Amino acid sequence: MIDLIDISRVYQIGAEKVYALNKANLHIDQGEFVSIIGPSGSGKSTLMNIIGCLDMADSGTYLLDDTPIEDYTENELAAIRNQKIGFVFQSFNLINKLTAEENVELPLIYQGVGKAERRQRVQEALERVDLAQRAKHLPNELSGGQQQRVAIARAIATRPSLILGDEPTGNLDSKTTGEIMKIFHELHQQGNTIVLITHDDDIARQASRVVHILDGKLSEVKI
Amino acid sequence: MRKRLYNRLAWDGIGKNWKLYFPYILSCVLTIAMYYMIKSLALNDGVQAMRGGDSVVLLLGLGSWVVMIFAVIFLFYTNSFLMKRRKKEFGLYNVLGMEKRHLCRVIFLETVYIALISLGLGLLAGVSLDKLMFLLLTRALGGEATLGFHLSGEAIVSTLGLFAVIFCLILLNSLRQVRKTAPIELLKAESYGEREPKAKWLLALLGALCLGAGYAISQVVDDPIGAMFWFFVAVVLVIIGTYLLFTAGSIALLKLLQKNRRYYYKARHFVSVSGMMYRMKRNAVGLANICILATMVLVMISTTASLVAGAEQAVRLRYPYDLANDGTDEYTAAWLSRETAEEAAAQGAAVTEEVSYSYLAMYVLRQEDVLVTSAVDGSPEGVAYTEGIAYFITLEDYNRLTGENRTLAKDEILLYVSKADYDQDTLTIFDRTYTVADRVGSFLGNGHVMAYIYPSYCIVVRDEAQLSYLEENSIYELAMFWGANLDADDETKIQIYQTLRQAASEEEGYFGSLECQAWERDELVNIYNGFFFLGVFLSVLFMIAAILVIYYKQISEGYEDRRRFEIMQQVGMSRLEVKRAIRSQVLTVFFLPLAMAGVHELFAMSIILQFMDVLMLASHSIYYITAAVSFALFAAAYAMVYGLTARTYYRIVSPNGSVNVLTA
Repeated sequence: MIDLIDISRVYQIGAEKVYALNKANLHIDQGEFVSIIGPSGSGKSTLMNIIGCLDMADSGTYLLDDTPIEDYTENELAAIRNQKIGFVFQSFNLINKLTAEENVELPLIYQGVGKAERRQRVQEALERVDLAQRAKHLPNELSGGQQQRVAIARAIATRPSLILGDEPTGNLDSKTTGEIMKIFHELHQQGNTIVLITHDDDIARQASRVVHILDGKLSEVKI
Repeated sequence: MRKRLYNRLAWDGIGKNWKLYFPYILSCVLTIAMYYMIKSLALNDGVQAMRGGDSVVLLLGLGSWVVMIFAVIFLFYTNSFLMKRRKKEFGLYNVLGMEKRHLCRVIFLETVYIALISLGLGLLAGVSLDKLMFLLLTRALGGEATLGFHLSGEAIVSTLGLFAVIFCLILLNSLRQVRKTAPIELLKAESYGEREPKAKWLLALLGALCLGAGYAISQVVDDPIGAMFWFFVAVVLVIIGTYLLFTAGSIALLKLLQKNRRYYYKARHFVSVSGMMYRMKRNAVGLANICILATMVLVMISTTASLVAGAEQAVRLRYPYDLANDGTDEYTAAWLSRETAEEAAAQGAAVTEEVSYSYLAMYVLRQEDVLVTSAVDGSPEGVAYTEGIAYFITLEDYNRLTGENRTLAKDEILLYVSKADYDQDTLTIFDRTYTVADRVGSFLGNGHVMAYIYPSYCIVVRDEAQLSYLEENSIYELAMFWGANLDADDETKIQIYQTLRQAASEEEGYFGSLECQAWERDELVNIYNGFFFLGVFLSVLFMIAAILVIYYKQISEGYEDRRRFEIMQQVGMSRLEVKRAIRSQVLTVFFLPLAMAGVHELFAMSIILQFMDVLMLASHSIYYITAAVSFALFAAAYAMVYGLTARTYYRIVSPNGSVNVLTA
């Protein structure tokens, strides 16, 4: 379902070329739970941006559901993000002015999902993260863990092919981290494809497959 | 269905950001109302019909241009600020899959709704306040106001047209900003810290040079007519200098402090220097805006108020007598004397004082202690009126005018010089050198010295023979001044004046021009009041802008400081230290523009006085006093606004009141 073939991304810093990604290859199957681990500056964020269709590679091919991403315009990429990828960020990225329910509803509105179905899917998503009773609350009335659960509900409500987590537990304490990881495991068991990006070994080891990134190169770690 | 969706998103965008949008919409409404009012007043026949109405209408016309230019810049700037604050929101929409063209559609709708609301409310406010403004203006101009509803179609059309264009510009700018935002930036911003600003030495230097040049020009300009032009040059230089110094200069200064190790590596300085650096980076343009707006308000209020305050004095200096006739001859003086007495008696008034004297006036070019004028053979040619004027009268007339009893030896003179310094003890004209026996006060009593903006040399010579000698050698001829005072009220004086003018136009031997103090006072006071009205009107507008900028700055600083406060406590600074550091920074940031505006005004004084002389400011001390008073009032208002908006800041910094920073 995800195929990265010889992907390179180069940044020009002054006179020097820095390879954030250097001919990286990665294959992820439908239903896999993969974690990508690496220290800061290793090219993690660049990889995450490319997998998330937020950035384009300079060379190489990225096939998402067997379709090369390079062929799309910026607007088409927005639609792909909306339909195929559910994002979960380190800093939650909820809209403070909207209630939990409205935050989850937002991407569904863009998809043009009808009102009744929207209601139902929002309800389902919030129930799955065990937050149905907090639907009407604003983000700043929720704890960090609860906010991240809303973000996960938002990510799954659109029924994406891929759930992409960028350090999703980076801002949380260890107890809450456990709760969030439990949700990811449940989502995995229900057949979702999950990619987690992290610098934390303990988190990374919970995935069924760990990919290590260093200086823009990828290597598999056997567990 | 989809259409309804974008509609909903647009309303949500405004509604959910109400804290930001309410002040913005309010400013739009007020700006629109003020533009409509000034336009409607400028087109109002009632204003035109008043005494001095032509000049006031001209002023209002100029004022509407100022409001227009201001509205474009101000609303454009405010909207940019709003868009910047919502950048994260837009970026997130984009990451979650909203296409940019849909985002643009939402922004388009938002702008349309805001434009419609603002224009609707603005015109409503403008039309309802227009009558009040008209009443205030007629009161200021001493006219009779007719009650009744006034609606200016032309002003409405003009307002709609102007603000349609402004909102279009705003929309284009918003769309440009959205197109520029890459969703990836949003994610980057989270992981990277704010970069320390770089010192731009060249720009800082340029700013200092611009400001220095502007200040220098304002100090050295010594030509009242040229002052107008140089004033604009200086204003532009100072504005550029202010922006550069606030943006680049402040950072450069802080960098210098940072380099000074002994100063920098002390806990207190360390935090405040680096804190100030980020604060200036974020706020420099806004602060420069506040500074410029404050300077404009100060200059407008102090100049127009001093004109109004000095009006009476100016009238008395320019028109020293109730009735005066200049450039006359003996026949006319005698005729006036007779006619005035008769007419005064007919009106039940009396002539209390009457003077007449001969004088010789000539354009002169001064070279040290020599006054050069065109001799009888016409050489040198063309001594311009911009060089100076010399007046000569005899000692006998001087003594009669002043009631003194002076004597002069041969080749001695008495001297009064206005608008120039004259240190020499001698004065040479046509190869005759006179000794200055004494310096005296202004004595001519014909208002010339006041009206004339270039140097005047008023010279008392010993006798008729001296005066004749000067007349025979120059191309100029003797003229006569006649003046009289009456014991009557202003209305009667004007009545007598108008009757005399009528009679003069029918009298064949009449020569000269008749002036009446009471009549001229009305005209002059009206024009000055018109200036003052416009000054206050524009000041209100600029104050609204300054208040809005301060309010927005408090909001954005509040959000920044909440994070800062948490971090600084985490790295182990005590609550008191943090409190002290933040408080002093916030105060510096907000009161820097006021201090700078004060300095600007101080430097502007000299050049402003130059062209205030053209507008017949009676005495410079009036200006100094009004400038000081207006600064004090403005500073008080500024502090009050700061205090009120600071509440928003505190509420953001400590939302639950639990972390009670700064308030103690």
